[in-house]
Amino acid sequence: MYADYAYLIVGLPVLAFLLCLFLGWHLPRGGGFITVLATFGGLIISLGIFNEIYPDKIVHQSMPWFANFNVGILIDPLALVMLLMVTFVVTLIHIYGNGYMNGDPGAARYFAEAALFSAAMLGLVYSDNLLQLFIFWELVGLCSYLLIGFWYRKPSAAAAAKKAFLTTRVGDVLFLAGIILLYNNLASLNIALKPGEFLLQFPVIYAHIAEIPPAQLTLIALGLLGGAVGKSGQFPLHVWLPDAMEGPTTVSAMIHAATMVTAGVYLVARMFPLFYAAPHALTAVAAVGAFTALFAATMGLTAFDIKRVLAFSTVSQLGFMMAGLGVGAAVGAMAVGVSIFHLIGHSFFKALLFLCAGSVIHAVNTNDLREMGGVGRYMKWTMYTMLIGSLSLAGFPFFTGFFSKDEIIVIAYEYGTMINFLPYIFLVLAAVLTAIYTFRMWFSVFTGKERSDYGKHESPWIMLGPLVILAVFAFGFGIASQDSFYSYLDSNFEHYGVNFQELGIIGGHVLEGEHGAPEAAGGEHVASEAEHGENEAHGEPWYIQILPIIIALGGILIAGLFYWDKIKRFDPSQVTGDTDPIRKMLLKGYYQHEILTAWFAEGVVYGTALICNMIDIKLVDGWLNWLSAWVMGFAKNIRKVQTGVVQNYVTALVLGIVVLVVVISLAKEVGLV
Amino acid sequence: MIPLELNILLASTMFTIGLYGLVTQKNGVKLMMCIELLLNSANINLVAFSAYQPNVNGQVFALFSIALAAAEAGVGFAIMIALYRLYGTIDLDNIRAMRW
Repeated sequence: MYADYAYLIVGLPVLAFLLCLFLGWHLPRGGGFITVLATFGGLIISLGIFNEIYPDKIVHQSMPWFANFNVGILIDPLALVMLLMVTFVVTLIHIYGNGYMNGDPGAARYFAEAALFSAAMLGLVYSDNLLQLFIFWELVGLCSYLLIGFWYRKPSAAAAAKKAFLTTRVGDVLFLAGIILLYNNLASLNIALKPGEFLLQFPVIYAHIAEIPPAQLTLIALGLLGGAVGKSGQFPLHVWLPDAMEGPTTVSAMIHAATMVTAGVYLVARMFPLFYAAPHALTAVAAVGAFTALFAATMGLTAFDIKRVLAFSTVSQLGFMMAGLGVGAAVGAMAVGVSIFHLIGHSFFKALLFLCAGSVIHAVNTNDLREMGGVGRYMKWTMYTMLIGSLSLAGFPFFTGFFSKDEIIVIAYEYGTMINFLPYIFLVLAAVLTAIYTFRMWFSVFTGKERSDYGKHESPWIMLGPLVILAVFAFGFGIASQDSFYSYLDSNFEHYGVNFQELGIIGGHVLEGEHGAPEAAGGEHVASEAEHGENEAHGEPWYIQILPIIIALGGILIAGLFYWDKIKRFDPSQVTGDTDPIRKMLLKGYYQHEILTAWFAEGVVYGTALICNMIDIKLVDGWLNWLSAWVMGFAKNIRKVQTGVVQNYVTALVLGIVVLVVVISLAKEVGLV
Repeated sequence: MIPLELNILLASTMFTIGLYGLVTQKNGVKLMMCIELLLNSANINLVAFSAYQPNVNGQVFALFSIALAAAEAGVGFAIMIALYRLYGTIDLDNIRAMRW
């Protein structure tokens, strides 16, 4: 019954968007409560659907749109957990936003755009075909642009919005190219579609992956990965995400931590069978993810802006999720469960961390860690909820992040034993750094001396309430749902009868454990190894299992030794002075600005553009201008004929007739006519 | 019966006078009159040929032509009056708004 109203999950926020846009100015707090109610309605419907279809049904509704395309709703386990997470987190953030945006003259605009974003994100999640997904994908990009530039009078915000839009655009073009390639390949298969089936629908795609040439599959997968890299802020398109922190903190929490940036990971998870079947595609996913995880974590270590620390952390954690999907080359479809579990858990604790940071910024009126210190004395609730979020992010035992992140590290180890240890090493190092930078931030904000004269008051309860609820989930989600979550998500592709064994042969993967005996290259050697692995449950030595705990505790301890005044033993400046090249490099973000913006964009691209402009002006336009100038000059002379005196025209007419008569008579005379 | 040649001579004389007036005169009304001369010389031709080789078609055609000429004169003089109101003159040398 709830499934019949699935369209309302998108419909209600759209309605809220229209109401806030046109009437928000007349309502208290910019009509924020409408947006809250809309997403809350979505949450109720999602919960109802969950209740109806868990654990073994899916909802699929679709209607024709135009030509070979349709619009439709597909709620399978993957979409359902995303729906629940997005509606839940976004509702809490909207509630928080009612307090945070209170008094801002643009509140109505904020809530209208936030409602539109909610609608687009939810539509993205339960689209049943790639084209519809792409449309919503662009819509969330637009909302991201609008909300980053929410304070558009601030030049840095406007620039950040533009940067985000243009950078993600690079990925979106690749994504679109991937979709077109996929469509072409599917169309050329001449599939006999049943009524109600359309080419770009996910079930149809899943069913026909094996028939597409492997080389084409890899191209398609790389295109889709390009889109995911842009949207999820992976290297090398991550540059927009830290700058996106110019928007209101609620926007950072909602779009740039919990929901939109995970769309890239969701896309790869959604198309996982295709990635799995495409040779080398998952290797690329793993490489991008693992590298980004470590790369962003190192930058998070030196950032002074509390929101930028969290932004780098988001990039890093998204790298973990990508890597989690990438190592699916070794562990098969269970990678989707592991990665999405981290995605959901991350949404809870990262939204929590951002909202806490927003609460702190709201009170102390600065983003700079160097100007905070000792805030915990005045903001107890914020301090403790943020502690929970930080412990979860750092992977402290029994917090959500511990279960989700460490499971990724463990399957990365499995990947290592079978294929390549590099992702594992990168992820472990990134995990250490995660614990360090998280607690560097927490200690700097809440402990120690007050380093500047800031506002000292706790935030109102409308902001603290969501923090407390999110903190409960940031702590308890992992411990409560891990096993059922994995088994539920593992069943996702069974609904479509995806045969991973067959796809794995195309992709050249060797499967281990419960997901089927290895069949591809390697023969007996691999087979015996796989059996060996199966015998020992997961097959990792105890020190691999225990390592993540040591990482988390060690990282927190290291951060404490540097930044917690109670146990402080070292000063950061003892390790790295202001002139230290490595510190400078990290602080400057690996000179990305210098390399990408100053050198590449402004030097190479802008220089090329200047040359092209010159050619355009001098050659292309020049030729045309010369021609038109010549015509103008010619016309200037010839237009004198038009005297405006009627008699002249008559004379010309008569002379013309005379000439004609003479010519015709002469022609008759010589016999031409 | 008057010989055909004389008729044609009359018509071409009228035509030449009309054409000469059209080329040399600057007064709009005079131009209109010259055009009437051209038209009527053609009418004379029509009637003359029609009488010469007995066929009534030419004369009927001349009647049409006269009716048309009346309409044309009506429109033409209306334009002249409008021009006079606008410019205060019907000397066509002074009415050159459409010139470059």
